[in-house]
Amino acid sequence: MNRREFLARGAAGVLALSPSLATSLRGFRLASSAPWLLVPMDDAQSDHLKAYGLTFRMLERGGRAEWFLNYRSGSFLLPADDAITRDAALNGITVEPLEDSRLVDIRGEIQGGNMDAVPLEKVPKVAVYAPPNAAPWDDAVTMALNYAGIRFEKVWDPEVLGSKLKTYDWLHLHHEDFTGQYSKFFLNYAGSPWLVDMVNSNRAMARQMGYPSVPAEKRAVAVAIANYVQRGGFLFAMCTATETLDLALAADKVDIAASYADGTPMDADASQRMRWDEALAFQGATLELNPTIPVYSDIDGHQVNSPDRRQPLGSFSLFNFSAKIDPVATMLVQNHRQVIPDFYGLTTSFTRKTLKPSVTVLADEPGAPWVKYIHGEHGEGTWTFFGGHDPEDPQHQIGDVPTDLSLHPHSPGYRLILNNVLFPAAKKKELKT
Amino acid sequence: MSHGWWLGVALLLPLAPRPLAAQQDSAMSRAFELERRGNYSQAVEAYRAILAARPADASALLGLERALTPLGREGDILPQVRAALAVLKPSPTSGAVFGVALRAWAAAGLPDSLRPVAERWAAMAPGDETPYREWGAAALGQRDRAGAREAYARAREQLHRSDALAPEVAQLNFADGDFAASLREWLPAIRRVSGYRTSAVSMLSQAPDSLHPELLSQLSHERDLAARRLEADLRARWGDPQGALESLQDALPADTALAVEALRGLADQLRTVPGRDGRAALGRILEQIADRTREPERSRTRLEAARAYTAAGQRDAARRMLTGIADDRSAPGTIAAGASSTLVQVLIGEGKLDEAARRLAEHRNEMGADEYAPLERRLVQAYLQAGDLARADSLLTGDSTVDGLALAGRLHLYRGDIAGAIERFKAAGPFAGDREEATERTGLLALLQPIEADTVPALGQALLALARGDTSHAVAGLDKVGGDLPADKGGAEVHLLAGRLAAAAGKPSDAERMFKAAAVPSAPGTAPAAELALAELLLDQRRPAEAVAQLEHLILTYPSSALVPQARRRLDEARGAVPQT
Repeated sequence: MNRREFLARGAAGVLALSPSLATSLRGFRLASSAPWLLVPMDDAQSDHLKAYGLTFRMLERGGRAEWFLNYRSGSFLLPADDAITRDAALNGITVEPLEDSRLVDIRGEIQGGNMDAVPLEKVPKVAVYAPPNAAPWDDAVTMALNYAGIRFEKVWDPEVLGSKLKTYDWLHLHHEDFTGQYSKFFLNYAGSPWLVDMVNSNRAMARQMGYPSVPAEKRAVAVAIANYVQRGGFLFAMCTATETLDLALAADKVDIAASYADGTPMDADASQRMRWDEALAFQGATLELNPTIPVYSDIDGHQVNSPDRRQPLGSFSLFNFSAKIDPVATMLVQNHRQVIPDFYGLTTSFTRKTLKPSVTVLADEPGAPWVKYIHGEHGEGTWTFFGGHDPEDPQHQIGDVPTDLSLHPHSPGYRLILNNVLFPAAKKKELKT
Repeated sequence: MSHGWWLGVALLLPLAPRPLAAQQDSAMSRAFELERRGNYSQAVEAYRAILAARPADASALLGLERALTPLGREGDILPQVRAALAVLKPSPTSGAVFGVALRAWAAAGLPDSLRPVAERWAAMAPGDETPYREWGAAALGQRDRAGAREAYARAREQLHRSDALAPEVAQLNFADGDFAASLREWLPAIRRVSGYRTSAVSMLSQAPDSLHPELLSQLSHERDLAARRLEADLRARWGDPQGALESLQDALPADTALAVEALRGLADQLRTVPGRDGRAALGRILEQIADRTREPERSRTRLEAARAYTAAGQRDAARRMLTGIADDRSAPGTIAAGASSTLVQVLIGEGKLDEAARRLAEHRNEMGADEYAPLERRLVQAYLQAGDLARADSLLTGDSTVDGLALAGRLHLYRGDIAGAIERFKAAGPFAGDREEATERTGLLALLQPIEADTVPALGQALLALARGDTSHAVAGLDKVGGDLPADKGGAEVHLLAGRLAAAAGKPSDAERMFKAAAVPSAPGTAPAAELALAELLLDQRRPAEAVAQLEHLILTYPSSALVPQARRRLDEARGAVPQT
């Protein structure tokens, strides 16, 4: 597509907007006639999180964009049209008009440094795996998508076990327990209304899907998700979904669920019988056999819910990749901060000793035996795991007030989540590593 | 004798042995100094050295106990305690030694050893409760309630007094959660020593609500003043100030001093009781105290009673108190002035403005300027609110203070004199009155300044209606004025105010129309605020789509308005991008 086509498509997007737009635009005019808009993602940006939504919506309208990796902390280049300028003004997003001559200079700068320009041309279809009764403010990704204004659909077990998953480009896993043990809260929070709801809805779903127990049904869901990645899907998981997904996948013919979940105790030799070749990221982990301790295994480095094992929070550092050689890893770590305060989740981090050798570490806590943010390939697709529950609620307790992202528009932790949402929009290039 | 011999004697004198008592005093001082410096280990050794020479030295034994405690070695005192008891003879300090012994046995976990020590002590001090009290305290120190109860029972048996150690038993019953038994013990304790009433009330008032009837019934069987006072205090603590008053009323003794003491005790309790009932009861108690006391106490108490009645909303009673003081020639001048001041406030509150003005004029000479001027301004304000602008004007004449100018501004405003009001509001500046008044005045200035006409009587009448609390007429008046004035010459601002008042008064359709009238491009200073107000109204009306369109219009049309961040926040909420706050 040449530049003329690019602009024509942008204009078509504007025309498709509602007639009311014309009225509301009466007092609003482009500040400049420059053909491009640069969305800076360094400290000049007034709302980093909504900038992703701006780019996403532009793709939705059929436009194209470019992601300038490592240029001003991962800026976006968008065509200058009224719709984008209006969108930016409404959402308080900083955009800078850019003349062709200046764009040539920037491209030269990108060519000469550890930077790259990645075309964004396909709007990814986004799905969030969450139970129907999940509160919208209980999941960091849902909050980020809502705040940025990125459209998504919710899926749960029927969609995953059916055939709908293949219609999505990107799937995020809500903090689900794929071992089917209700986050191992069953004994400690017995009688809590939210837990009763969780148990009832999961049992009903297992029965509906024809499985003998919740752990059996959740493992089937985990396998379906792994197959989705195998066929080319993009998977992003946070918190306990990371660890339990792999535990469920590796538990082939191994009972790793406590008796309250499936009526039989865990296999005493479960750790030895796990089939780690079926897992995405982890290997050789030792499982926690005590059903009263809300810990699954030694994959998690912080063990937040075990008072005698709990590790304090530090901060994690993003790795610096070669933008031209490793654009995928580079995209996933675009940020205006390189060191980010850590935050707890039921699974907070991943111990180095349990990582498969093929895993790419995107961020770690230097000197600590754990890493925070990892990525890898599985068949035709990729997966990314990010430890912790909510980047702006480091301690996150059950019943905490929801995080209001309008108070954290520059959150570097949430930026990492949104990097993942936009990364499937990138035009695939043959990777050199 | 040569000089050399004398020198030899002088040199030898310091080496001569000092008297034994002086040496012991010095050792005691040294031990105490070590303890004071926090050098407990050495202090322990120093005290032990003294006790080796004088095993029953109570000061040294107490010092050793103190020094061992921070080291966590309380049990190490046992050898010294045994040695002391072995040689102990009756003396004024023998009680201290027994006390240390009781605590030492208790700390050592030897409760069976407490009783012999206490009984040996009791034999030396016949009729004294102290040995048993210390025995009980030592047991309680080890959380041994049964041991303490045994000590108190033994005391009653040996002393042949059923009320012996009643306060201690009462506290023990309280600790066991037995409030009825605790009350049974507190009553005799209070009868013997009235000072125990505070502790009794403090503990018994913690009884759960379900036990209140039982405890009050128990008290109702007792007819004496101690029981009545306890009942009154408890009723006050339990939120029944009227009942408290009645409990005490019937039992007040004829003796004035005793009656006043009882009334004051209840007044102290009632001062902590919130709410109008509590204030009313306090007023009545204070009035009764005043009736039983002489000047200057009487006027001071009446003044306090008046304040309590005022807080209770009983203006007649307050006025009765205040009039009494103000008209009492024997009342001290400062109290009379204070009473007059409070009386004027009460009269203003009752709307008796002319009487308030008369009282104020009468007592002008007794009041300082700092007291008089605020009262006068309050009266002016009341006249303004009553719509009597002429009376307000006459009182304000000659008042050139900033507060006076601020009031004069309102007077001119209510008369429709826009230019005069602006001039006086500006002269009053930002410091007249409290922060709320200053902010409101600034808002009025913003409303008036775009208006070009010097006089707009209809606006004055509408704002006067608003000041008098007549929102309905105020909104109608402002709506009409807003329509008569050009939008860019004050019309938009007046419509915005009218819309806000209509929204607050629960008339959303009127408010919507008025906000729309204010949100016009010809009034760019007012339009963003009107659009935001309109959007918030639409959100309240559960019309989020219209609210979103309005907010988007605001942000895009007035991008440099200071209200844009607030509008973006509302937009996020309306879209569900952030949780509702």
